[in-house]
Amino acid sequence: MKRKFYLIVLAMLLLVLSACGNSAIQSTTKKVEKAPKEGGVIKIGVLLPLSGVYASLGKNLQMGMELYFEGIGWKVAGRDIQLIVEDSEADPQVGLRKARKLIDQDQVDLLTGTVSTAVAYAIRDEVDKKKIPFLVSHAGGNDLTRSKRSDYIWRSSFSSWQIGYSLGQWAYDHVGKTVYIAAADYAFGREVSAAFKEAYTAAGGKVVGEVYPPLGNNDYSSYLTTIKNAKADAVYAFFAGSDAVKFVQQYEQFGLKKEKKLIGSGWLVSEDVRKQQGNAGVGTIASIFWDYHLDTKENKAFIEAFAKKYNARPTIEAMEGYDAARIIAEALEAVGGDASDPDKVVKAISNVQFVSPRGPIQFDKETHHIIQNMYIIETEEVNGQAENKVIEVIEKVKDPGQ
Amino acid sequence: MNKRMFISAAAILLLAAAPFLFSLFYLNLLAEILILAIFALSLNVLVGYTGLVSLGHAAFFGIGAYASALLSKEWSPQFLVTMLASLLIAAIAAAIIGLFCVRVNGFYFLMLTLAFSQMIYSFVHQSTTLTGGSNGLSGLPSPVFGTLDLSHPVFLYYVILLVFIVMYIVLSLMVKSPFGHVLIGIRENEMRMKAIGYNTTLYKYAAFIIAGAIGGVSGALYSTFNGFVSPNDVYWTMSGSVLIMVLIGGAGTMIGPVLGAAFIVVLETIVSSYTTMWTLIIGGVFILFVVFIPQGIVGFGRALTKPSANRLSFSRKAKALVKKEANQ
Amino acid sequence: MDVIAAQLVNGVSYGMLLFVITCGLSLVFGILGVLNLAHGSLYMIGAYVAYTMTSQWFENFWLALIVAPLVVAVLSLAIELILLRPTYHLGHLSQVLLTFGLAYVIHDVTSMIWGSDVLSIPLPPPLSETLHLWNQDFPAYRLFVVAAGVVLAFCLWFVQEKTRWGAIIRAGLSDKEMINALGVNIKLVFTAVFLAGGYLAGVGGVIASPILGLYPSMEFQTLILALVVLVVGGLGSIAGTFVASLVVGIVETFGRFLVPELSLFLVFGLMVVILICKPDGLLGKQVVRH
Repeated sequence: MKRKFYLIVLAMLLLVLSACGNSAIQSTTKKVEKAPKEGGVIKIGVLLPLSGVYASLGKNLQMGMELYFEGIGWKVAGRDIQLIVEDSEADPQVGLRKARKLIDQDQVDLLTGTVSTAVAYAIRDEVDKKKIPFLVSHAGGNDLTRSKRSDYIWRSSFSSWQIGYSLGQWAYDHVGKTVYIAAADYAFGREVSAAFKEAYTAAGGKVVGEVYPPLGNNDYSSYLTTIKNAKADAVYAFFAGSDAVKFVQQYEQFGLKKEKKLIGSGWLVSEDVRKQQGNAGVGTIASIFWDYHLDTKENKAFIEAFAKKYNARPTIEAMEGYDAARIIAEALEAVGGDASDPDKVVKAISNVQFVSPRGPIQFDKETHHIIQNMYIIETEEVNGQAENKVIEVIEKVKDPGQ
Repeated sequence: MNKRMFISAAAILLLAAAPFLFSLFYLNLLAEILILAIFALSLNVLVGYTGLVSLGHAAFFGIGAYASALLSKEWSPQFLVTMLASLLIAAIAAAIIGLFCVRVNGFYFLMLTLAFSQMIYSFVHQSTTLTGGSNGLSGLPSPVFGTLDLSHPVFLYYVILLVFIVMYIVLSLMVKSPFGHVLIGIRENEMRMKAIGYNTTLYKYAAFIIAGAIGGVSGALYSTFNGFVSPNDVYWTMSGSVLIMVLIGGAGTMIGPVLGAAFIVVLETIVSSYTTMWTLIIGGVFILFVVFIPQGIVGFGRALTKPSANRLSFSRKAKALVKKEANQ
Repeated sequence: MDVIAAQLVNGVSYGMLLFVITCGLSLVFGILGVLNLAHGSLYMIGAYVAYTMTSQWFENFWLALIVAPLVVAVLSLAIELILLRPTYHLGHLSQVLLTFGLAYVIHDVTSMIWGSDVLSIPLPPPLSETLHLWNQDFPAYRLFVVAAGVVLAFCLWFVQEKTRWGAIIRAGLSDKEMINALGVNIKLVFTAVFLAGGYLAGVGGVIASPILGLYPSMEFQTLILALVVLVVGGLGSIAGTFVASLVVGIVETFGRFLVPELSLFLVFGLMVVILICKPDGLLGKQVVRH
């Protein structure tokens, strides 16, 4: 009997508590206007995978962001900046849960991040409904700035289309008239290779075959034997992370390298995998929007600052984080540090343009997607190490937006 | 009896009062816990009551989730329609898969359910035009009931709570029914039940379908609640975490899986805000439970209140399971 | 014709790779009856230790192949003594769950030590060559994997069938009281078997990682693959595991060659078909069904 009593007391207590708290009923029925907090902290929600397969990408993005904010003393227009980082685990459900935490609980003024496109799609409606400016700093799924476009979502990284399309014409002109496509079987791989195919066939090239091994495939021998026996001048490949290491290594081991030129997206030979491939990647041609060896003063300054803080080379994701931080900082500067009106913030984001380590960037106000240079890079051996070299610049590549 | 009624009533009241008590974030978290609790309860029919450990239960969760998502997108966002249709589709899928699975026991059952769920995962992952592939389906229309828009988080919470209560009652009744007793008999000693004259395979088949159908309902609720569905819903890690929920909460009890779901979701959400090492913590907690509190949270609570209570000991069940394997 | 022959070699070499990965799991399950879900984690530790050895301590793959599995064996000894031995009375299912929890723990511990970057172990020099067979190129390392698989299989067969230890193990499997009465410490036998299983997991990690690479969550992928092979072969049978490795390897390789769209389905589809047709696996011990 006593327990009953306690239970009732507990219930009453909770009810009383609720009267003072910010309950769900209150926050959803009454529209609470966000007051411009003079001199208060600007909260930026960062949603990145910090565990799981994409953990290293998430960590690099975070490192890049922190590097930039440190450079400006964690202050914009006299207000302090606070990053609230949440682990999305690259899982859409967890990502949505964490986005809700950042928006409802932490009341962040802006949101940035997501490596996984699935997470970005998953939180898209939530962000749109609650009018939280969301700067996408990695996820490249085409639809995010096409059919799923939102007033509050802007993307500073890349689209699958930009990556794939940019190599098409160049490959036809300089590599060969026929290619075989091999790409990891997930949305990203499919979108990039479709964009490449579009540009390559438009240029007059012929795709003689396509194969899509599963994401995280372990042994490519069977696919490679098939490709080897096909008549193609080159192989266009899209693989990233551990897949890129395995594919590029096995491509060489099965003797394809000396017969067919390997071309693909920059992730095939990016900073995080190239060293692990030994020299198997040498000779590869790829298209990407930044490279370590990009010879500009902005890039040199960035690399130097990064090496000073972390004693390591930045990856492309670190650069994305660095740029995203700068875009956020410049937009907040433009609104005088007042992040209370999301419409003003996104307008300020749309106007940001500067010369980044990757070259000049600006936003396409129509699609909300970044306009940036694409680079054709070639991997070569320098002092026994595989290094990339920029061999061609394709300026101001703009996503068609549909 | 009276006391139990009282506790149930108090629990329902508290849950009903939640929107007035908690902030929006915690309300959403609670809704998610309720959905996963339904999922865990459905698995509990197999693991806890029939003694069949499945590592592929996400198949039905995912089928329900995708069915509801596709139906609401292509056909009608009527909540009741999508929910019932998802239940039916999941039940049909369970009827087909169960046909093969209930013929085997123990470890083979575990592997066969895993295989089927992974095949469904492969299908979902690859049929890009139908299921959106690895990106899943997002931007689902918000659910409506008649002309009432359910997209408001508080409404949606009450709908989820209602479904949860209905499912909880249905399963409680089932467990207490003669049918439920036969299932428990199968768990304890299938040979004996057979000897008495029960067609145990048929009973296991029925349990499999019921578990699948209710798993489908939880999946459908999940995609309705989230507004999207992704292949992660079907992946084996989902099956793994729901199994952990059931076992940590206390298999073979009604409230156990609910507590387990709450425990895991809260742990994962709160802990991962502070550290990326949350799998270590979940793994460690799990080991502690298996070694020291084999009856799960429920058993732990019972041990605290009534030191003599020793019902449905998990290790005993485990022994029964192993014995059954050996008896095959 | 050349292509078919080349694919057959691919299939056999992939199959032997699977055997190298699975044999430790099969041994432990066959004798202890404990399905070690931390097997993939032990495999991963073997791979990571070998990585550290070859990249930082000494650049010798062969030395790593000897030392790294020993490290894993010591670790599995600790696991057996601390976690498994005190809990044998809880029953097999509890032990399966225990090893599952352990896999979660090891997952984070390794990412704490080795980070979450993608890593790889370079091939040892004489085996990094590419050979010509039937007009096709073939990496020499794959042939080494085939040889390693055959040697391992032979050793396991020999120990189990031809030595006193094997006799004790087989006896312990069928009648624990009997073997105790004969004055053999069955607990010691179990510890030894688990240790051997850990050693084999480590060997698998070192041999497979130059092909499969090192990356976060690799252990769960490996574990699932190993479980499939184990089930297809039939529980508790090294010979079954050997045959299943070859079957899975060849079926998967030809499946990828002939119907690449079904790559993801193949492994699990094969397992379903075999379990439906032969519920005890290819060479599983025939049991009375009821």
